[in-house]
Amino acid sequence: MNVTVFGATGVVGQALLPLLAEHELTAVSRTARDEPGARYVVADAASGDGVAAALEGAEVVYYLVHSLGARDFEQQDRSAAEAVAREAANAGVHQIVYLGGLGADDPDASPHLQSRRETGERLGSAGVPVTTLRAAMVVGKGSAAFETILALVKRLPVMVTPSWVSTPTQPIALVDIARYLAGVCGNEATYGEGFDTGGPEVMTYRQMIERIAALLGRKPTIVEVPVLTPYLSSLWLNLVTPVSASVARPLVEGLRNPTVAREERIRKLLPLQLTPFDEAARRALA
Amino acid sequence: MTGWETSERVLESGAFESRQRLLVAEPVVEASEAGARTLGVTYWQAVDRFTRGGVRASWAGDGGKLKLLGGPTLLTFGPAELSFDGELVSCRHVIQGGFLALRAGGSVTLAQRPEEDQQELSVTVEGYLPRLAARTGAPPWTGMLYAKGQSPFHAAVSRRYFELLLRSRDS
Repeated sequence: MNVTVFGATGVVGQALLPLLAEHELTAVSRTARDEPGARYVVADAASGDGVAAALEGAEVVYYLVHSLGARDFEQQDRSAAEAVAREAANAGVHQIVYLGGLGADDPDASPHLQSRRETGERLGSAGVPVTTLRAAMVVGKGSAAFETILALVKRLPVMVTPSWVSTPTQPIALVDIARYLAGVCGNEATYGEGFDTGGPEVMTYRQMIERIAALLGRKPTIVEVPVLTPYLSSLWLNLVTPVSASVARPLVEGLRNPTVAREERIRKLLPLQLTPFDEAARRALA
Repeated sequence: MTGWETSERVLESGAFESRQRLLVAEPVVEASEAGARTLGVTYWQAVDRFTRGGVRASWAGDGGKLKLLGGPTLLTFGPAELSFDGELVSCRHVIQGGFLALRAGGSVTLAQRPEEDQQELSVTVEGYLPRLAARTGAPPWTGMLYAKGQSPFHAAVSRRYFELLLRSRDS
């Protein structure tokens, strides 16, 4: 099949490309690249530049783009999704595969999670069937959420944390979400469907911090306080981690929502042996 | 919200049994581990939302604590026991102690089960010995804090839980 991947240079995109090697692969990036395994083309989903050319002949499109960090990320994500949806319909694309966020369907979801849901809706606005895989934190090297937790563990022997550390989440290994994404490629049973994905373990962020710390041979003291706003938390993260406040704030706001799979249909459709959290984290730390 | 019912009774042992239920046309959660877990996650979310974050559950590997403003532990629970046997889906936590428990014992079970051509969503507390309730033989006013405070609070949280479940299904 002819497959085009938007966001090919991102963490998930880079893990996905080798799994799609059997297909005619077009990798879309915002700057010129030349790497083996795919035909790289330059396009910008946000501005729409080059999108039509990137989709020429495409049958399946992966949409792994987000504008987190931009001041108006919600608007940018909506516009980019609409541009790709429109051009995908014009190009006769059969399927758009989108990686959304677990918990995004929660009526009280954070702006970031709401934006992930809206992006999925906009991708389907021009009539091309969308397959949505919803995931919580992706455990892999370079994943913004994972790197944030890692930086906290490495830098702080004592952590004063807001109550979101008790929110349950179901992180998934980078390799597993990549395999799920590759597995739905061209699978007509998944057209127009959404699937919750998650790793084999549900844990709180506090447990996640403690497990990563154990892998690093550390034992941070975690002091949970009931009042610490997302704004203050993001400023704190900006101060002590490499993550900027503009990225941290929407992430932190989203941590209040449980991000746990509500159904397991993907596991019946693609019965993978899922990677345990410690193993996924160990690979990310290597 | 239709088919809402709440009831409570004191057993001969002195333990309390409380039950809230709601009838819905279709299953709200899938009959799977994820579905059973969703019942539990949504219930604790309802506690958080109803109290505007004032009472929150904090979990570790061996169970959870229901804390007031991040401080005093109101109740402690064992880990979630998930069950999905045919069309019965449930998440059960054993009550292990805490300020609001006279002693360890009892459980809270969140369940979805078929009832005729509908589905029943329920919150059932069994075998619980509330510290704030009147002791056997004591004058009723000694249990006022439970009767007028904790008991209606629990029913209201259950109602909020059902609302959250239904909203998440519809979203």
